[in-house]
Order: sequence, then structure tokens, then C-alpha cells
Amino acid sequence: MDLTHAELEALYSIVQKGLNDSSRALSSMTTGGIQLQDPRLQFLSLAVVPNIAGGPEKVVVAVYLGIEGDLNGHLMLLFTQESGLRVVDMLMEMPPGSTRQLDELAVSGLAELGNICCSSFLNALSDRTGLTIVPTTPVVVVDMAGAILESVVTELYLNGDEVLVVETGFNGEIPGHYLLMPDQDSMARLVAALEEIE
Amino acid sequence: MSVETIAVGLGELKCGTRPEQVLVCYGLGSCIGLALYDAVARVGVMVHVVLPESSLSRGQVVQPGKFGDTAIPAAIAEAVKLGAVRSRLVARIAGGARMLNIVGAGSKLDIGSRNCDAVKSQLQEHGIRLTGDDTGGTYGRTLQLFVGTGRLLVSTVGRGEREL
Repeated sequence: MDLTHAELEALYSIVQKGLNDSSRALSSMTTGGIQLQDPRLQFLSLAVVPNIAGGPEKVVVAVYLGIEGDLNGHLMLLFTQESGLRVVDMLMEMPPGSTRQLDELAVSGLAELGNICCSSFLNALSDRTGLTIVPTTPVVVVDMAGAILESVVTELYLNGDEVLVVETGFNGEIPGHYLLMPDQDSMARLVAALEEIE
Repeated sequence: MSVETIAVGLGELKCGTRPEQVLVCYGLGSCIGLALYDAVARVGVMVHVVLPESSLSRGQVVQPGKFGDTAIPAAIAEAVKLGAVRSRLVARIAGGARMLNIVGAGSKLDIGSRNCDAVKSQLQEHGIRLTGDDTGGTYGRTLQLFVGTGRLLVSTVGRGEREL
């Protein structure tokens, strides 16, 4: 998809505002423990997407939410197994190392993290554009990064060979990936909505 | 003999004719890893099929390996070009999983089972025997074809390895 420089700037600014809201929500929940870094917006060839979280065979903990409504796409949080457990400790306000396995409680903690990230981000987007956007129920999966990512991008593949990937990380303490991948039609709608409010 | 690993990325089609070569599809989710092998000529072809039908594409198909209906004839043609005999080719497949098990079967994300059906029917249509099949489920797989021996290994996270 071809975006003008101005459109890309508008997109970046709204994504950043949305992520700032996510970051604030996370920070207030974890007494400053979890914050988001500045996002990177990239157009990536779909063939390379399965490699973005440390290689296709890297075992990750993934929290996935679908985005539906006026915008369609995918939101994913990816952690190494270690940092997945660490993030649960933070959410539960337990000392580091307390969570040793991804049991039911840990999985629901991670799902909740997905909910917070996604809903605060989408609310920010909705408020500013008037678009109706709703997340699906989060799913937590532990498997190879490539297998998880390719299953999500196949759908985006239908519209072309490139996808917009918004990538950010959590603060240094918990390395992780926060990925947002809208489909192309949604991007066009988002850009149009942004132009209207300019 | 040092091993030469050849990674087969999304939508790619790669061939091997030397015994030290290993063709690998890493982290297959909903995609299908298809291995064609001629045990006499010791020629192997691997394709990482992403989607069932090229008609789903809005643009021009530039990578035949991407779609089930274009991948199978392209893989056969490549193998034959490298000295394989069509009637000796056998196919083995893995992948086609439903990684995000929220979505019920038949949802837009359940492309795995559609990929699987498409690849199988294409193999049948082209008269290629399917001798190994490890598809479906809700977990990822890595597929390795050892060109020298024809050995095909499927590995998973927490579900061990198996030969096809």
C-alpha cells in the first residue's frame, strides 16, 4: 500500500497515542513495572514476518487478540518463556521468580495483559477517529514463533505481499514484542478517518 | 560430510540434489510443508504452501509455491527437471494446524484445514502418491527432508519428533 508521507505521519501519531494509553494503563496496574517503548512502524514482506520474534523456531508465549469492526487486524504480544513468567509476577505483584509455570492462573494473567493492551489502544483509536473497533477474546499459546505468526499473516497475504507491522517492546526488564497488524482495507479506512479529522 | 541446510520460507520452493543437503520448513503453523522425493534419483523438493487457491490472490501469482493449486505442478516440474522420474515421486506433508484455537473450525483463521484439503486434492489430481501425512492439530511443526536418504523428520515443541 502506498501512503504519502503525511498519511504515514498521521498514522504514526495515532498509533503512538494509542500505545501511550496502553502504556499508562499497564503502568498504573503494575505500579510502574510495565511500560511500552516508542513504536516502530514498518512495512514488511509477509515472508519475513515469521522471523521477527527471534527466528521461526524460537519458542514463545503468545497472547493473541483479533481486531474486528470498522478495522480488522491482529494484535499479538510475544514473550520468551522466561519473560512470560516474569510478566505474570509483575501483574500479580509477586516477587520475581514466583511464577514457575504457565498454569491456569498465569494464562489468565497473560490474557488480561492482552485485554489491557488491546482495549486501551483501540479505545484511543476509536475516540480519535469515531471508528468502531472491538477486540476478540484473548488466546494464549506457547509454541514456535514462526508457526504462530504465519497462521496470522496468511490471511493478510490475500491482499498483497506486504503488511504494516507496528512493533514495540516492553521496558527493558521484560523483553517482548507487541505487534499490531491491520489488513490493507482497514489501513485505508484508518487513513481516511485520520484525514477527516485533520 | 558437512550438512548444508536450506531453509524454505513462506511461499518458497527449494530443491536438493546432493546428499549433504537438508531442506527445512521451520515453524509450520497453518501452512503446509510438502516434500516430494524420488528415492532412486535422490532428488528432493520442498514447498512451503501458504494458501489453498491462487484464485484467492488479488494480484498476479509470482511465487507458485505460495498456493496449493500452483505449488504442486511447479514442484513436480522442478523435480523432473533435476532428474527425478514423475512416476517414482512420492509426497509427504505436514502442517495445516489451527494455531489459535479460539476460532472454531471454519473461521477465517482456520486456513490450515483448507490448505490441507487443497494440497491433497492437487496431489491426487496430478497422480502423486501421498505416503506420509502429519497435519491438523493446534501445534507448530518443523519439517526436515534429508536429501541423501529421503528421511523426513517432523519436530514439535513438547510433542517430540516423528518420522514420516
